[in-house]
Amino acid sequence: MPDKTFEHVVRFFQYQDPNGQVMGFPRVDITLITASNNRIFLSLLFDTGADFTTLRADFYPILGLHSWDEGQRVDISTVGGPSVAYQYTATLEIFGKIITCPIHLAQMPSNPFYSGLLGRNTVFNEFGFGFWESTNELYVTGNP
Amino acid sequence: MTNSTGAHEEVETLRTIVSSISTSARSPEEDLRDLNNFGINWYITEEGTLMIRYWQVAAGGFVSPERAATIRSNVPFPEQIDELDWLSKNFQTIRNRYAGQWIALYANRIVAASPNLPDLMNQVVEFDRPFVTFIPPGPLVWTSTYAGQNF
Repeated sequence: MPDKTFEHVVRFFQYQDPNGQVMGFPRVDITLITASNNRIFLSLLFDTGADFTTLRADFYPILGLHSWDEGQRVDISTVGGPSVAYQYTATLEIFGKIITCPIHLAQMPSNPFYSGLLGRNTVFNEFGFGFWESTNELYVTGNP
Repeated sequence: MTNSTGAHEEVETLRTIVSSISTSARSPEEDLRDLNNFGINWYITEEGTLMIRYWQVAAGGFVSPERAATIRSNVPFPEQIDELDWLSKNFQTIRNRYAGQWIALYANRIVAASPNLPDLMNQVVEFDRPFVTFIPPGPLVWTSTYAGQNF
């Protein structure tokens, strides 16, 4: 019987709108280290269905870019159909690990509570995750 | 190592808030509620003067980024852990004031705002790890399958 140990427990984010409707998502807080070596705190949606970590396109200035679409064009599939992203490289601090990984910029609806998606490429290799839907918790180990 | 008492941008932010209070047509209670929402400590003297506590001390370069990552992985960082919860709790007030702008949160208060992200980034260079986000002017869009789930 496998036995997994996790060092971090991250509760899902919750938001209650003025009508009383509660919304939420499994969040992962990251630190993005900018081109000018500043550290910015962003919240991302934990998404096992995303191949790449993806930021909303309008965040391009924090990557030191002049426009969101100056990188390598990548055709992607989304729930809403085929779309386009542009690929860059970024350095992130996630659960105490500094990781340099590919990152996509893509057009997504604006929501102040998350800036994009935490996807699998490179990032997930560094961690093990346990998903507890019934308790709204994400378990994380940095020693997979 | 360099030490600084507060940050110039923070002082400017506070000055803006106080100016807004002194020229506001709203009631004192509404202004005080705003101060609470922005995490600013205050009290009223017997003479009726509004006193505001607003300072912090930073020690830049205390440890290397690599060592900081190790330390931070083992020790919670309380004033930033709940930035999203603070934003969630105060979202209607924040949206009324900052719709259509980028904002930066630090230690559960708004330390900078701008319609322009590069301008915002210039305002927050002295803050370590501010939470940066955009306040949309329209309704929130939840595309996650978790939207509407009964938490």
